[in-house]
Amino acid sequence: MFNYFLRRFLLIIPTFFIATAIVFVILQVTPGGPFEQIMLQAKMQAQGGEGGGGSGNFQESINIPEESVAELKRYFNLDKPIYTRYFIWIGNVLQGDLGKSYKFSEPVVDVIKDRLPISIFFGLTGFILSYLICIPLGVWKAVKHGSAFDITSSALVFMGYSVPGFALGAVLMVTLGSAGYFPLGEFHSLDWDSLSFGEKILDQIHHAVLPVIAYMVGGFATLTILMKNSLMENLGQDYVRTAFAKGLPERRVVFVHAFRNSLIPIVTGLGHFIGLVFAGSFLIEKVFNIDGMGYVGYRAVVERDYTFVMGTLAIGIVILTVGNILSDIFYALVDPRIRFK
Amino acid sequence: MAQEHLNDNSLHQGREENSPPVDNQDGSLDNPQSEPGEARPTLFDRMQARQSTLRTSHPADVGSEEVVEETGGKKPARSRDSIMRRRWRKFKSLKRGYYSFILLIVLYVLSFFLPLFVNNMPLMVTYNGETYFPAFADLVGSPYYPWEMFGRTGDESFVNFHELKEQIENDPTSENSILMPLYTWDPLEGDYVEGVPPTKPSSRHVLGTDATGRDVLARILYGFNISISFGLLMTLITFLLGTFFGALMGYFGGKFDLVVQRGIEVWQTLPSLYVIIIVSSIIIPNFLILILLLAAFGWMGMTYFMRGEFYREKAKDYVAAAISLGTKDSTIIFKHILPNSLTPLIATFPFAVVAGITGLVSLDFLGYGLPPPTPSWGEMLNVGLNNFSGNFQNWWLVIVPVTAMFLTLLMVTFIGEAIREAFDPKVFSRLR
Repeated sequence: MFNYFLRRFLLIIPTFFIATAIVFVILQVTPGGPFEQIMLQAKMQAQGGEGGGGSGNFQESINIPEESVAELKRYFNLDKPIYTRYFIWIGNVLQGDLGKSYKFSEPVVDVIKDRLPISIFFGLTGFILSYLICIPLGVWKAVKHGSAFDITSSALVFMGYSVPGFALGAVLMVTLGSAGYFPLGEFHSLDWDSLSFGEKILDQIHHAVLPVIAYMVGGFATLTILMKNSLMENLGQDYVRTAFAKGLPERRVVFVHAFRNSLIPIVTGLGHFIGLVFAGSFLIEKVFNIDGMGYVGYRAVVERDYTFVMGTLAIGIVILTVGNILSDIFYALVDPRIRFK
Repeated sequence: MAQEHLNDNSLHQGREENSPPVDNQDGSLDNPQSEPGEARPTLFDRMQARQSTLRTSHPADVGSEEVVEETGGKKPARSRDSIMRRRWRKFKSLKRGYYSFILLIVLYVLSFFLPLFVNNMPLMVTYNGETYFPAFADLVGSPYYPWEMFGRTGDESFVNFHELKEQIENDPTSENSILMPLYTWDPLEGDYVEGVPPTKPSSRHVLGTDATGRDVLARILYGFNISISFGLLMTLITFLLGTFFGALMGYFGGKFDLVVQRGIEVWQTLPSLYVIIIVSSIIIPNFLILILLLAAFGWMGMTYFMRGEFYREKAKDYVAAAISLGTKDSTIIFKHILPNSLTPLIATFPFAVVAGITGLVSLDFLGYGLPPPTPSWGEMLNVGLNNFSGNFQNWWLVIVPVTAMFLTLLMVTFIGEAIREAFDPKVFSRLR
């Protein structure tokens, strides 16, 4: 078992190198990067802003002196072959230097430090709330299988599954937001700094309601049904029959015997959740105009902020793979029958 | 009653042999945004193997001949047929899913003939003795009707049939006639008669117009065809890829399995939406390229199912017999094992379609999907949000596309749930 997980952890290393290398090459090979953007800007300025449709060969520009182009290339390491550039980047990462974001003109680590709390706030709230709601709901649905409650709540669950979180968020904002019940996006109010502590908490909750619902809706359906099916399956097992046969009360059989066993598949989600918090859901963040990790990462991709994309990717890969392994460890911990080798 | 019970149980017993490793954990819903799970297959393989050994010793009251029928490799064709028919009967009995299935198929087939129902070109127009069928021509190609044809000599610009209609109707003496379709707007046509767009729902535009004056209802309807086609095609491609690799991994096992698994792990670690955004910002993607792009990052899930199936099937006697007879690997994989392993494919198909449609909507919403002016729900939602700044402003631009998406996905989900129930042998006996 120990060997298995040790091997899994060691496998993170090649995975990390190969995945970052692939994205690095894609980013570097595709046109439109920061070098081209600067060249384009310089060209536009030189032309006095008349060249609106001036796409195409930037290098041909006569207005930019040869040596500044060369200097710029040196600055972006474009004078070196692509594998050298990758090794320079990975060398810096291994020394803990993720580089400086072109877009924010500050170190990538600082930008992440600013945005991460926002994503963690939503991720954690959504996660805790969905487990708090889905597990009891799933249990109740399993115990009352086939009842009116089960059928109506199933309909709700299907409806939740049939609408992507960001689309639901947009509808909630246009309806409930317009009606004045909730603010129209943003993480908190503009006059946040002038609020007292109590007001800050209220303001935060007020702003968080709609995004958190949007965050939860996707996982809500999956988690509820998973809980229900898992418990139902356990209720059909022999040991439950045995427990009933020896005269235990229904409450005890369901909640002590079957429930604990049926939590096993639910536990897997715990590890994956870490990755989810880090990535954020940029679609929801875009809808609600929240500057979390997801939205910032998305804009970095759109604006080709290479260092930022690569920096978040590096952290993201480590977190994702570690999260996956953690969920397997959780699995082994709660279910001693599971053996890895 | 008793007969049905027997059948269910036999399904149960037979299916345990080849149920997919992730099926159990997956619940019923396949979350489109689910995180890539590392080493899940091994985990579930083990768990499933453990559980199935537990279950085979389960003293279930099963008609043994039924079990033989399902699992016995001697007459796969006949037994497959009968179990499929039984599943189909079960599916038909689940009304919610069955009617959604019928309705969705009818709507999808009809949507290919949309130019006959929703179009700014008339079904039939008679002008100066000549008869044209522009809508029918539009159905098969892109016809060209200049004003020259309809009395304005020298004017080569495309005729505006709305104007022509008024012209014809205001002149009762002439023998010209025009028959417009049910709903007279084209999804790409801007209409500025009601003022600066977007205009709210009215009798002229039932669901209003978008920011460039295009009819929302027409765009929604044409978007329906695109969305469903996209979802279906993407699912087909991801399933083909996933089945192919999963089958090879499960059949050959060993080093090949290990290497491909590591490859899949790396591939899953890539931020797929980022890569798709970068690629589609350099090449303007068309329908097919977009499907291939999304499919390239979506096929890994199916490999887990298929790999597990093939591992399990390969251990069975009929495969050993085929191998000892010297049958070619490709024949064993595609002719012997694959027909026995189709259950997870069918049972997860609708949920994969939901994921495909959601993927397209998300990309369109971000502006990296189908190129404008393609009528797409995601693009409409984006336009709606961009033109919203509180107080129910342009509410229909957000509500309408989300509702369309919601109803469509709901139908697909209902179908998926019914198929799953029809294919899933598990009979949940509640408390004793």
